[in-house]
Parts: sequence; structure tokens; C-alpha cells
Amino acid sequence: MAIMMPASDQAVLARRAEIVAALRAIVPGEGVIDTPAEMRAYESDGLTAYRQPPMVVVLPDTTEQVSLILKYCAGQGIKVVPRGSGTSLSGGALPLEDGVLLGLGKFKRIREIDFDNRVVVTEPGVTNLAISQAVAHAGFYYAPDPSSQIACSIGGNVAENSGGVHCLKYGMTTNNVLGCEIVLMSGEILRIGGKSAENAGYDLMGVITGSEGLLGVITEVTVRILQKPETARALMVGFAQVEAAGECVARIIGAGIIPGGMEMMDKPAIHAAEAFVHAGYPLDVEALLIIELDGPKIEVDELITRVEAIANGCGSTTCQISTSEAERNLFWAGRKAAFPAVGRISPDYLCMDGTIPRGALPKALARIRELGEKYQLGCANVFHAGDGNLHPLILYDANKPGEIERAEAFGADILRACVEFGGVLTGEHGVGIEKRDLMPDMFSEIDLNQQQRLKCAFDAQGLLNPGKVFPTLHRCAELGRMHVHAGKLAFLDIPRF
Amino acid sequence: MDTLKVRDAKDVEEVVRAAIANEQPIEIIGHGSKRGIGHAMATNAVLDLSALNAVTSYEPNELIITLQAGAPLNDVLSLIDAKNQQFAFEPMDTAPLLGTPALGTIGGMVAAGLTGPRRIRAGGARDHLLGAHAVSGFGDSFKTGGKVVKNVTGYDLCKLLAGSWGTLSVMTEVTLKVMPKPEAERTLLLRGLDDAVANKAMTAALGSPFDVSGAAHLPKSAFRARIEGLGDLGGEGEALTVLRLEGITASAAHRAGSLRDLLAPFGTTTLAEDVASAALWATIRDVLPFAAGGALGAWPVWRIVCPPASGATLGAQLARETGGDVIYDWGGGLIWAALPPRPDAHAPAVRARANAAGGHATLIRAAEDVRRDVDVFHPQAPGIVALSERVRAGFDPKSILNRGRLRRGAGP
Repeated sequence: MAIMMPASDQAVLARRAEIVAALRAIVPGEGVIDTPAEMRAYESDGLTAYRQPPMVVVLPDTTEQVSLILKYCAGQGIKVVPRGSGTSLSGGALPLEDGVLLGLGKFKRIREIDFDNRVVVTEPGVTNLAISQAVAHAGFYYAPDPSSQIACSIGGNVAENSGGVHCLKYGMTTNNVLGCEIVLMSGEILRIGGKSAENAGYDLMGVITGSEGLLGVITEVTVRILQKPETARALMVGFAQVEAAGECVARIIGAGIIPGGMEMMDKPAIHAAEAFVHAGYPLDVEALLIIELDGPKIEVDELITRVEAIANGCGSTTCQISTSEAERNLFWAGRKAAFPAVGRISPDYLCMDGTIPRGALPKALARIRELGEKYQLGCANVFHAGDGNLHPLILYDANKPGEIERAEAFGADILRACVEFGGVLTGEHGVGIEKRDLMPDMFSEIDLNQQQRLKCAFDAQGLLNPGKVFPTLHRCAELGRMHVHAGKLAFLDIPRF
Repeated sequence: MDTLKVRDAKDVEEVVRAAIANEQPIEIIGHGSKRGIGHAMATNAVLDLSALNAVTSYEPNELIITLQAGAPLNDVLSLIDAKNQQFAFEPMDTAPLLGTPALGTIGGMVAAGLTGPRRIRAGGARDHLLGAHAVSGFGDSFKTGGKVVKNVTGYDLCKLLAGSWGTLSVMTEVTLKVMPKPEAERTLLLRGLDDAVANKAMTAALGSPFDVSGAAHLPKSAFRARIEGLGDLGGEGEALTVLRLEGITASAAHRAGSLRDLLAPFGTTTLAEDVASAALWATIRDVLPFAAGGALGAWPVWRIVCPPASGATLGAQLARETGGDVIYDWGGGLIWAALPPRPDAHAPAVRARANAAGGHATLIRAAEDVRRDVDVFHPQAPGIVALSERVRAGFDPKSILNRGRLRRGAGP
């Protein structure tokens, strides 16, 4: 493991039996797991390169239990790592040796479906897809659609501010969540927001969303639901150069068209996907765009024509337009299976997640190629091209000495390049432990201190999910200290009126 | 009182640091167009951002614009309009309602977060703020977010800054998402519905797949003789329920037809297109029926946000109980209420009704002596108040910035 986690508290570890007993008093029966064999299922999340069994696993099924667990842990100075379905790709739910792993998997009930207010009130352990399924009979769905939607939980989506293919048009989790019930590390239960479009006061829901489990434990979520578009069609467009594909993306946006989804794959990704799902992808192109238009049929038909013309104008070499749902799904099948497809051509891969301004796409791809040569590793690229979110998949073999280290260094350089090109370290997977140590490449110490002061407002002891997101932990007392800048008392020479 | 007109972020840092050292709270303004919203502040100096007004960068193809906080909103709207783009959240112009000159800056727009009719589809100011540079109450410049749409790197402090009324930090530069303007807009008008039926019609429209981007109801009113901006569309002594569809021309027209059929049980619809439709929605966005220069100009105005399906019950009861006048936006989820003048601006009734519906109410327009005795912003649960105080202390521990604006009696 290449990443340093906070030092284990030996005094806590020495009291393990007592802690397990105390948790059993709160969550009776099988809700507390403490045998090494059973805890193995929790030792990592979707970032499987990192593994660490927790001190103990607890699976409460009521908000009151969550509150009692956190209150107990806060009182005893015990660290807590919250976990939803464990699909994080950035290690957000990686356990700590001396920490309680708090699983929300038993919070599996949808509490209320309110079609008149167009919201669903749900427990956090419900999967993203299950929400859409629960409202599908009335033509509704929940818009954010991370690739893991069959497994990932809505609580985890809130913690990570998850995106998905369709967030270009419909927004990320933060744009689709209205309220929550949250338990603070102190055990205090708070309700934030509800069924209204806006909350009163500071937008606490906004800052809880994407806080990676560092601010509180969510026990209920209220999400917006939308009517499903009447129809959707996709174009699959091939280009002889990546630059032309990038230009096509820019021109579509420039023409005022916001597709439901706009995805790009490079040659290695196209070949891997085609070999896996036989979607009929052209193999002689350097870049493939899948562009989906959704809405009323009359609109979709018109926009398909406009997008096709733009693609032709950018020198596309192939262009297929879906004429049925089956065909549209086939276009997507390869893209959606891109990760497992790459898994077939390489023993291991690392999935990166930087975002760049759309215009920097050719530059970024050229840099990734150069870095691949430098590190002597292959890389297949899939992008959410519409919003500049890159997913380079770095191919390596963990059994070859030194390869994982090279792959990680390659990935870090890609993310640094994203920042250099005006972008950011992570578009949708979160910082977690994976990008934690790169945070200073994007933020100054002052920027990071300001973020950690927010953490202090929610969890002054720093017991909730420590070691994630921030490379250096500061005590809240230290962060709250004012540095009075002496000698600058007089507004100097600023114009007065 | 000193007004300090800063030229750059460095000046802002210097002013805030001096204010900290002298323990002198400062009021932060752009054009000062919204100074009448909130409580009177316990401040000794004004930090004026209006000279910090440059367009840092505008990249239409990236759908983003980066602006200094003091950039005039109207100039920015013209600039992006020239590229056929807009802020999709339809920022409200508060000037007619508050009776102030038609001014306002980007910083004020974000800090107030007052979002127009398209909120139901496009979200609010908070959904379009991608990044910010700001000076905290520690006197430090920091940045948060970025210049790309998709970003989850670190806490999303932008969400806190939007709608914080200048109480957390002084924003010096913001990056906002811009969106293409729709090619066409069509508005369906239904006449003569009472509030409850209108709420049902709006709920039906918003629950349809026709992508409605505006849903408002102007009830029949004895107070409003004529509403500016409506031209000959009506609204004089007759209720008007309006539903907007936007997009490429063929689609907007097609969906207008489908929606007309869906709404047939509620009555016969008429259609307003493009220019007429835009004027109508500007009227609703800026709450012109309650304009300071109009018949109800002297009445206090509340902005009530609630679950949309409960809007009509809340609004109709409130109007009846107080003898006031209401209009509905966001499909019932936003109620503007002008209530007959009273020292308490009917706050107990408004707050009780809002709480019962699961909503909240802000006293947007009221005389200063009323605001001295009435909470302008909705009182919240003790746990939320305490957490919000801790959050504020994490940005501005000495309460140097806009002290006292959000909470009555929070000043020294």
C-alpha cells in the first residue's frame, strides 16, 4: 500500500473486545461483525488495490442506532468509516485498522414516493437504479446514472456527488437532491431541506453532497425525479483523428445543442470494447463518438439531422444512426462495458477521472500518449466528452514487479496535466485516498485549510473518515486561530468615497 | 461611514485584515441594489466591489464565463446574449420590486441566489456556480471549485457561498455555467382557474414528459388593476395560469400542442409566442405585480418556498387570512405574497403556514422598522442554527462580514 493512513490508536485497538460489546448493545444480533473471515468482505471498496480490514463492522438499521453508535464512538475517541455499497473508485470507504466500519446496507427501504411533488424519499442503502425502477410505472426516473447504478447506493451517490453519462444535460447528484436526514459525529440527528426546491439558510445540503463521508452519516435522502424523455436516439460517429472528434464535440455544444450524453473512446478502448461485446464499432478509426439525443421524437429527429451535418463538417469517416431501441442499446453496450472490456486485455487497470476544459482534449490526449511512452504502459481512453471528464484506463500487471508503482505515477501525471490544462483532479469518482496526495497540486494550503475548517464545523474531533481527501490533517483549534496582520490597520491607500 | 472602493483581490484582503485587526465589521456591496434585504447591519465601513468589474474570460464553446464579482449584471447578460447564451437559472432583477435603480452585480446575484421561473428545470444560482475566488473573514484569499462543469475535487464550498448574503466570504471572482438560449418559446395560458385547480394543472404539466420550463399562476386579484408586461394577455381581474415550453422551434410548438391536449380538462388554452412569452415571464420573474411603483408598492412582500403541490393551499389561506395578494411560480413551489402593512408584516401567520407546509419564508421587502422587529430570514431548528453558526465561524470567526444581516440581534 503506497498511501499513508493516520496512525492507528493502540489504546483503541487494545479495547477492541469492549468496543465490540458496546456496539452489540446498540445493534443486537448479526448487526455487529468481528470475525476476520466475515470482515474480509469489507476490507476494500471499488479501488481494490488498497485493502485494510476494519477493527469491527457494524450494520445498524435505524437512525437511532446510527446516532448511538456515533455518540459512543465520539465519546470514546474511536474513528468511524461510513460505507454504502462499497463501489467507490477512489477508496472513500477504505476501512481503518482502528476504526469502526459503519455500513448502511440495511437502510434499504424507499420511504415515500410523491409524484405530485416529483420527489422520492428514500433510505440511503437503496440502489440508484432501484429508485428509477420504483417510479418507472408512472413514467418517471432518477436522472443521475453512474455506471455502477445497479449496485451503488443513493447514500453513496450523495457522499460522492456521483455523475454518469447523462449528467451533461441532467446534472450530477447535487443538482438532483433536495434534502436529507444526517447524523453528525456527535450523534446529533439533523434534517436538512425537504421537498422544497431550496433550503432556508446556508446551503448545507449542497456542501454535504460530495463531502465523501467526512461530514456526517446520511440516513435518509429526498431526490427529485423527472419524467422520462419520450424517446432517445444515438449517433455513432468515427473519426480518423482525435482532434476532429474533439472539434465535433465543441461544434455541437457551440450550436446550442446539449445532448443527453456525448461519449468518446480512443482506438485501444474501441478495440477492447468491440472484442468484448461486438457492438459493430468501426475498428479503423482513431476516435469514436456516441452522441445521444433525447426528448420528443420531433426534436430528436431534427437534432439528429443537425448533429450528423456537424459531424460530416468535421470530417467524420463513419456515421451510424440508431433506428431502434435495440440498436441504440447496442451502440452503448461497448461504452458501458469499456471497463470490463479493458479488464480482458490487461490483467489489471487503473481508472483515472480528471476533468479538463473541452477544448484541451487533443492536448490532453497527446500528453497521455507521451506519458504512456515514458512509463512504458498502455492506456485506453474513454471520456464523457461533453463535459471534458476523462477516464484514462492505465493497463498494468500487478504481478510484474514495479508495474503498479509505474501505473500510479502515470496516473498522477495525467491528473497533474488536467490541472495544468485548467481542469481538476476528479470529475465524479471523488478524491478519497486515491487522489488525496495530489490535492496540493490543485489547491494551496490556504484553500485546503478553508475546506478543513468546514470539517471542523461538522466533526471537530476529526473522527469521521479521517485520512480521506486531505493529505495533511490539522487540529481544529489550530485552523481556527486568527493571524492578525499587524501594521496593516489603516486601509492604506484604497480609494475612499 | 467609510466606503472603500477596492481595485483588486489584494485590496479586499487588506480591507478585511484591517477590519479584523480593528474589530470593525464591514458591509460588502456591489452596486448596493439589494441592501434593503435583510436586517440592518452592525457595520462601520462599506467594502465596495463595483470597481472589480472585469470579465476575466468568456469561452462560449466551453459554456463558462469567469467574472470579477463587481461586473454589472446587465452588461454580462448583454455580453452572453450576443453569443446566444444565457444564465439558465434566470436571475431575478430585484430593482422593480425594491424600487431601486436598475443595477446589480454578478457577485450580488450569486450572494443573493434569487432564481427565476426556470428553476424548476434548470436549478438555481447555486447549481450554476462552478468556482470562486474569495477572501474569508480570516483575511485570506482562497479558491474553491474550478472552471469545468464536472468537478468533485474537495468540498463544494461554492454551494455555501451562493445564497450566503455576503456573510461567509467576500467573493472576488466567480466562474458560472452559461447555456445556449432556446431557439423558441411558447406559453400556454389558462384563464379563470382558482388557486387549487391551477396548482393541479401545473402539477399535471410538470409531471408530463413535455419538459415544462415555467409554471406560474396569477390569481384573480382585486388589488392589481393592470399588470405591466402582460400587454393584452390579460390578468386584469381574471386569473391567469401560464406554462412555458422552450427549445428548438418544431419541438416547442409540438410540445405546446401535446400539453394543450393534456390540460384540456382544465379549460381552453391560448398561446403566447416568443417576444410576448418572454415579456410575460420577465413579469413573473421580477414580481412586477408587486412592483414598488405599483398599487401594492407600500405592502411588505414575502418570498415563500414550499413543496410545489402544497402551494395553493398555503397561498390561498394566507391571502384570505391577511387580506393580502399572492402569485405563484415554480408550479406552486414559490409564492410571492404582498400583505397589507402591519408592524409585524403578518410574520406569525406567514411562518406558521410555511412551517405547516414544510416550507420557509423570507421577508424580501419591508420598511426598516419592520425588519427590526421581524426575522427577515426563516427561523430554523436549533440544531441547524448551531451548525450554521459553526460553519460561519469557520469562514469568519469574528463576524466581520455583513454582521447582523441574517439574524436579528446577531449584531453587537
